[in-house]
Amino acid sequence: MAAARRLKRVVASQPGFLNFKSSSESLSGRRKRVNKNKKKSWNKHSDINDVEEFLEDVRLQERTTGGLLAEKSDDSLFFLDVGQPKRAERKAEPIEGKKRKGKTPRPLRIDLILQQDSLIPAPKDVLAYQQPNAKKLRRISQKAEQLAAKGVVTRRQKRLLSRRPVTKEAKKSDTEANNNPNRDYYDIWGQEQSTVKDSAEDWYLQQTGKKRVKRPEKLSDRPSVLPAVEVIAPGGSYNPDFFSHQALLKEAHEVEVKKQKEEDKLERQLAVNKDDTATEETVIREQVEGLVEEEEEEEEDEEEAAHDEEDEDAEGGSSLAKKKTERQRKREKADKIKELRRLDSKRQMDHRQQLFQLRSIKASIKQQEQSTEDKQKIRKANQEAEKSQPRRLGKLKFQAQDLEVQLSDELAGSLRQLKPEGSVLKDRFKSLQKRNLIEPRERAKFKRRHKLKYVEKRAFRAIT
Amino acid sequence: MGGLQKKKYERGSVTNYITRNKARKKLRLSLPDFRRLCILKGIYPHEPKHKKKVNKGSTAPRTFYLIKDIRFLLHEPIVGKFRDYKVFVRKLKKAYGKTEWSAVERLRENKPTYKLDHIIKERYPSFIDALRDIDDALCMCFLFSTFARTGKCHVQTIQLCRRLTVEWMNYVVAARALRKVFISIKGIYYQAEVMGQLITWLVPYQFSHDHPTDVDYRVMATFTELYTTLLGFINFRLYHSLNLLYPPKKLSALSASLARMVSSAEEEEAQLDQFPVEGEDMEKLEAREREQKEQEAQKKLFDGLKFFLNREVPRESLAFVIRCFGGEVSWDKSVCIGSTYEVTEETITHHIVDRPNASTQYINRYYIQPQWVYDCINAKIVLPVEDYFLGVTLPPHLSPFVEEKEGDYMPPEKVKIMALQRGEKPEQEDEEEEDEDEDEEEEEDDNDDEEEDEEEDEEESEEKNLKKMEKQRSQGKSLQVKVTPGKMKVENPERLEQEEKAEEKRLAIMMMKKKEKYLYDKIMFGKKRKIREANKLTAKRKAHDDAEKANKKKTRK
Repeated sequence: MAAARRLKRVVASQPGFLNFKSSSESLSGRRKRVNKNKKKSWNKHSDINDVEEFLEDVRLQERTTGGLLAEKSDDSLFFLDVGQPKRAERKAEPIEGKKRKGKTPRPLRIDLILQQDSLIPAPKDVLAYQQPNAKKLRRISQKAEQLAAKGVVTRRQKRLLSRRPVTKEAKKSDTEANNNPNRDYYDIWGQEQSTVKDSAEDWYLQQTGKKRVKRPEKLSDRPSVLPAVEVIAPGGSYNPDFFSHQALLKEAHEVEVKKQKEEDKLERQLAVNKDDTATEETVIREQVEGLVEEEEEEEEDEEEAAHDEEDEDAEGGSSLAKKKTERQRKREKADKIKELRRLDSKRQMDHRQQLFQLRSIKASIKQQEQSTEDKQKIRKANQEAEKSQPRRLGKLKFQAQDLEVQLSDELAGSLRQLKPEGSVLKDRFKSLQKRNLIEPRERAKFKRRHKLKYVEKRAFRAIT
Repeated sequence: MGGLQKKKYERGSVTNYITRNKARKKLRLSLPDFRRLCILKGIYPHEPKHKKKVNKGSTAPRTFYLIKDIRFLLHEPIVGKFRDYKVFVRKLKKAYGKTEWSAVERLRENKPTYKLDHIIKERYPSFIDALRDIDDALCMCFLFSTFARTGKCHVQTIQLCRRLTVEWMNYVVAARALRKVFISIKGIYYQAEVMGQLITWLVPYQFSHDHPTDVDYRVMATFTELYTTLLGFINFRLYHSLNLLYPPKKLSALSASLARMVSSAEEEEAQLDQFPVEGEDMEKLEAREREQKEQEAQKKLFDGLKFFLNREVPRESLAFVIRCFGGEVSWDKSVCIGSTYEVTEETITHHIVDRPNASTQYINRYYIQPQWVYDCINAKIVLPVEDYFLGVTLPPHLSPFVEEKEGDYMPPEKVKIMALQRGEKPEQEDEEEEDEDEDEEEEEDDNDDEEEDEEEDEEESEEKNLKKMEKQRSQGKSLQVKVTPGKMKVENPERLEQEEKAEEKRLAIMMMKKKEKYLYDKIMFGKKRKIREANKLTAKRKAHDDAEKANKKKTRK
């Protein structure tokens, strides 16, 4: 209740507030007696607005003009207007302005806003200058000065000066690391160690297990005959000759044509003939097969069955074997011997006739030799060609990189406008693979061990 | 059956090979460590001839190593260091997990490291062996020195690579060893001759860098580790062979502080004595002498010339290349440290600019495009500057790595250069010819249609003449051909000789046996085919040039 009353009173005291009761009535009417002995009551009921206004005015004047206006001199507030100033004076100003513009640009608006614009300086922060033991420190420094002026060195100072300076050593791991930029090199091939090793020394090293194992000779063979750096064809120059550029374009074109051909081949193999697609007719026919027209089929089946049985009888007859008689065995033996004799005589005849066939035999031998020689040559050529091919080491095949070539409209006229093609890093990587130094590798894919579970948020669950 | 039974896959080629996983388990290393070890030691996988046998009947693609190589690996001391590193990582992780920071500091300070010196000595027992393998090392080091210094690979590696490449370039400058340069779309190829070995390396452009994702960086970093060590030792040895201090001081920008060192080196190089090798003919000696003289001349190609590089030209490459041939070079102070003189210097002879127009013109210097420098080096002579002025269409930059044989197509620019090398001056003649050609072509263009008509008319008239003569003959009339007194032809003695030789050749051909003639025909056919193709190409080129000239005229009109 008291609070409500207080609120009403505050509202009523606002300057523009109009009461229900007319203002004159409220003024002249009975005034309630208020006790102003306590601070609380006279804070509430005294009106200090005019004083406050006056003080605010004073403060404003001080802030903006640096002092009371009444105390300022006439000259600082007013000036006599005598028309336009002379030309010389005017010229001085714009030149200064230009200079200023050239050297220092205008300050930013935000800086201006954030600046202090009051002409009263801020009060000094005393706490910032306070030091708890300032007196003591002052005394000590004065004493030290006096002693230094006399030339006396205290014991403490002597000990400090005689201490060794701290040399912070660089980390051992950093200095000994392989990629330390300031590492030292020495002459590794220089000192020709005594080639004639003492046999005693040799034996000693071997027995104590300190002898170095010899490197196998095969390791010094290069794994490939290709050179380490293959220079690009002359068409790859930044300003190429017309024909070499065309030749390079042709090569790239052929590669693309080959790829396209393979794709086409695949598509042809996978192509489906439109006539083969099932129409409704064929579908129905397939489903109905064997169901319609049963009588005709039955007759046909019977005929076929009869034929089959006959054949089976004939085959069945031959499977029942009869025992061979003595006669049959003797006959077979005689036949065999005859056969052998015939073959023998034939062979002898062949031998005799070969004498007359010498020339043709020679010719045929020559032909065979020729063909074997040719095959050998081809095989050797293939082997040589394979040496320069990258070997298959591992799961992936070697994929040659695309030819670096710039199309005619990409060619730059000058070195400044040149846009480099291809990446040397990739080129080096592929070159290492080509020369069989490393196996072709693919970037490892990220495989999840456990499947991801997707759960709806509560909010969604409420909606859906 | 009696006797011991042989088991399959127990003898023969199977016993020579071992799969990668088995090898790894034998060495007790993880796969990345195993790979690193193989790269460092130079042990490569092999493809056996009969895969099925070695793979014990299956044809699954597997990586095979030779068992001898793997047994050799077992004796390597670095393997122990790898295992120590694994233990170190485990301890470090534990310390981090328990937040024992003092332990972390202590462990970090005692991180196990290894050195590769003994591996280098083992793989390359002599200096020349190392020089043979330096191509790869140089390419890798140059590549890594162009990487950006983000955290992807160790920053120290990049710094070390940069230091080594600069040292190498300084050596090449001091020894004047550079022979060929080729600017391609990939990068710049250099070839130098060091101690009799031809070394080719590729330097990528500074400004291209899209790091492809399918390159294994760990593998490349391991190779670089090995190659930086190798290159460092080689540099040391090379510097000592020239009696220079190693490591050299103040090499951040290939500055002229090297001049002092270079001059001292030159003084010490005595003239090469001529040792007549026993059994050599005088011709060979003379040929060698000539070559040496040419080389000496080539080394002083830019002697006495002063160059200034504008901001937009590739500064490092040009500075290196110009210094290699004795020239002095400088650039603007604000571009990089180490510039010796400013733009305003009067004695500058060539100013290299790549813009379409130069800002301020000084009189006694040439303003040329950078391709002039490279072309001069490849041609081994100082080419005329006119073709390379600003705004002029440059002649094509030919590759010096292409050796053309007889009969092959040679671009006309190369023919010109070779002529210049021989000392002829066909440029003036060419200019005159060009003017004449232009005039002729102008006339031709006007009269083109008329000429065609004329040609047709001529042919027709010839035919008509022939027919006339035939008619007359048939009709029995004597031809109206007069017998005029013969004129004396002044015979050229040279022509006579040539004709005699040709006669002899023809006779010899007639005298050959059938077989030999058959072979000869084959050879000549092959040769003629080449020549025919070369002619075709020249004709095409001419047609192309004519078309271009016509286009130019059209645009001019």
